[in-house]
Order: sequence, then C-alpha cells, then structure tokens
Amino acid sequence: MVKELERAGLPVVHVCTVTPISLTVGANRIVPAIAIPHPLGNPALDKDEEKALRRKLVLKALKALETEVDGQKVFED
Amino acid sequence: MRLEIGKINITDIRFAEESKIEKGVLFINPETLKPVVLEDEKIKDVVFDIAKPGESVRITPVKDVIEPRVKVEGKGGVFPGMVSKVETVGSGKTLALKGMAVVTAGKIVGFQEGIIDMTGVGAQYTPFSKTLNLCMVCEPVEGLKQHDYEKAVRMAGFRVAAKIGELARGLEADETCVYETTGIKEGIEKYPDLPRVGYVSMLQTQGLLHDTYVYGVDAKQIIPTIISPTEAMDGAIVSGNCVSACDKNPTYVHQNNPVIEDLFAQHGKTLNFVCQIITNENVYLADKERSSNMTAKLCRMLDLDGVIVTQEGFGNPDTDLIMNCKKIEAEGVKTVIVTDEYAGRDGKSQSLADADAAADAVVTGGNANEVVILPKLDKVIGMLDYVNKIAGASEDTLRADGTLEVELQVITGATNEMGFGTLSAR
Repeated sequence: MVKELERAGLPVVHVCTVTPISLTVGANRIVPAIAIPHPLGNPALDKDEEKALRRKLVLKALKALETEVDGQKVFED
Repeated sequence: MRLEIGKINITDIRFAEESKIEKGVLFINPETLKPVVLEDEKIKDVVFDIAKPGESVRITPVKDVIEPRVKVEGKGGVFPGMVSKVETVGSGKTLALKGMAVVTAGKIVGFQEGIIDMTGVGAQYTPFSKTLNLCMVCEPVEGLKQHDYEKAVRMAGFRVAAKIGELARGLEADETCVYETTGIKEGIEKYPDLPRVGYVSMLQTQGLLHDTYVYGVDAKQIIPTIISPTEAMDGAIVSGNCVSACDKNPTYVHQNNPVIEDLFAQHGKTLNFVCQIITNENVYLADKERSSNMTAKLCRMLDLDGVIVTQEGFGNPDTDLIMNCKKIEAEGVKTVIVTDEYAGRDGKSQSLADADAAADAVVTGGNANEVVILPKLDKVIGMLDYVNKIAGASEDTLRADGTLEVELQVITGATNEMGFGTLSAR
C-alpha cells in the first residue's frame, strides 16, 4: 500500500509498531507506533492521557509527511 | 544435569471402573477424572472421550495437547509452577506415557483453536493423529470471560495429565533414554574439539491469549535466560496459546521437542550441546529489541559456535526471528532458523514478514496457506460451530457435502516450527 501510493506520486507516512518490517518492505517515512495490538493508542492510560498520546502521534506523522527525506528514515522522538 | 526418561508404551485406552495401566493399556474411569477438572468452579462440565488412530473422528476446537508424565526420582514434580511447586526440574527420573496424549478442547476464542483428524488427509498433516487421544471438552460457566476460560482449561489439562501420569508410578519402563548436559567448564574439557551448540527457543508471548509459561511465569515478562534442555521435558515450559493451530507449540511439543532430541543424539559425537536459551515474542518494539539483544549476548557469553533458532507463530514474530538471527550472527555465532511460511494459497507470496541476508540457513515447516479438503468424518469430539471461523478457514469452509475446505493453518501441528511435523521443502 505504502509503496503503491508513493509510486502514484503521493508522499506517505507509515505509522507502524514493527519498524524493521517497514524498513524491509521499503517505506520511506516511518513513524513508530505504540504496540501491535494497539498501534495508535494505549488502553492502559486514562482517557486524557491517551488523547494526548494520540494527538502527539498524529502530529508527528504530519510533521514526517512534510519532511523531505533522502531514502528511508525512522522518525524517532 | 542428567535426566532419565522411562517410556511406558501405551497401546490402548479404555474406559473402565478402575483407573490403571496394565500391560500397556490405560484404563480410565472418567468419573474419577471429572472432579479433577471441576475443582475449578469456572468449568461447568467436562466430557471425556477417546479418539484412536484411524478412526473416523474429528476433534475440534483443540486447545492444547499434553503428554502425561510423572516424576519418580529427583527434585520437583511435572509442570512446576503450574500444578507442582516451583522446584527446579530436569534431573532424576521421569516416566512418560508414550503413544498417547491428553487433548483439551473448547470454544475458547472460537477462531483460534485447531482441528485434529484421526483419519483421511487431515490425519497426514497432524502429528496427533498417531497418538491415542484422551479428549476433554470443557464447558465454561455462563458469562466466563475468554481469558479466564483459557486459564481454566489450560490448568485442567495439566491436572488431568499429571493425574494420569501418576498411574505410571512404580511401573517398569519399556525403554529408558538418558539425557545429560555438562557444566560449561566440564563440557570444554570433555569435548575440546567439538563445536559448542546452543538452542534458542522463541516462545509465543504476544498476549491476548497468545502466551507461554515458564515455571508458572508468563514468558512475556522474562528477559531471555538459559535453562537445561531437560527442564522442558519435565514440563517447565507449557502452552497457554489460542493462536493459529498449525504453528503453535502445544505443551506436548515442548515436552518432546525434536530439536532437543536431535541435539542430544549428536551430543558428544559431532557437537557439544551446551544449553537451551529461551526468549519471547512480545508486541512492543522495545521488547523485541531488548530480548534479541540479550539472546545474542548470551550466545556470545557462552562462547557458542552455532545455534538453532526455532520460532512460534507467524507475522510479527518473524521480526523477532530475524532480529535474533541477525544479532546472533553479528556476534560471530552461526545460526540455522526453523520457521514456516505464509506464502499464499499458490505459494507465490513472500514467505516471512521480515528477512535479512544473515538468514542464509533456513528450515521450513511448510506453507500454512496451502489448501486441503478434509473429508466428512463420522464423529466430532467437541463441536463444528466454529469451523467456518477458525484462522485458515472461511465462510465457505463447511461445504454442502460435509467436507471442509481449509488452509493447513487450521490443523494442529501441521507446520510446526520445531520440526515436529512431516512437511518441509528443499
């Protein structure tokens, strides 16, 4: 999916937990997610904390989307 | 550590008034086993049944398969930390009932239990069509949550297996095998010219009922450690897994791990079998990194020349497998990895979710996506309610004529990643 969208000319951010797989399959902008059963949130947190976590992740992905990359890059904290 | 396994060959199982083993026949009174299961108030009822090789019988939904054993000499008891105290096992003498198994069944998750066929095409793929199976179908009390149900059935299986194992106490073994590992220094002195080989055993620990327990500890909470390979033979590692049936490791396979068997067969001849390293397959990337780092470090610290790495499950654990392989090789220790494949029904897709050039010696247990048609069988132990939903099935699985169109994935042990099955490729 990531590669096909990029082939069509759209920049893509792959938000995923297992970043090594993302690197293997060839994504260029990679944002590490939380965990495999809950990549975009954390059910162990309070509602407010989780909302903050989710917002941070989305903002990070948007930031990655507007960042020029030269090859594969994992956007760590 | 030195462990003797005395094999008691079981040639038949029959229901009878008195539970005993006589001339290789296991007589069981199910009424005396029932209270062993029902002592857990979470189980409402249990039905015992017997399935024999060649019979027109399908067992489903299968949860675990367990070999009854009893410890007759040495420290501890079977399934330490689960049904026996947490004493360190793996030395002394243990009697094992060969040719039979306890099979637990119940619709725990529904879509993540397996099928064992005792005849037909399916029987060729599951190693448990060759065992006499004492099946226990456990019905939960109403409203019981899945994880409580899983635990209740898991523990009931061990209690029943231990109870049956006790029947062998005092019996003469038909055959005895001795397994012995040395200490590090002794091994180097004794086998100075033999390559030092370890076994890295990856345990399924993704959580959400994909769990393995070591001495009663949920293995997702361990950092990799070393054990004597004989500890697993006494039930130190047990399955708590509700996951795709073909490549999960039932407790039976940990007790009878073929990698350990084969390494022991070569121990002192072509290699020095140093130890088993256990590690996990967690769902956080940091856990995957930490565990593979630790595993590679242990291989280095033990001065191993080579290791065999086995996996459990598929998908993201493929990354744990590749991380282990890559990092162990980077320490200068050679690896062979044992896995299976999800290469699509036509076998043309990428087999593993991850890959690396360091993984240049791979053994496969077969393609889990391969489609087979299972015949309609006369009797079902358990229920067919979930047969269209289990992983590897589809809504078209149960066909009008009663046959099942399924992927190998649904068959317990079909593509086992410890090499317990019969499939492979060259």
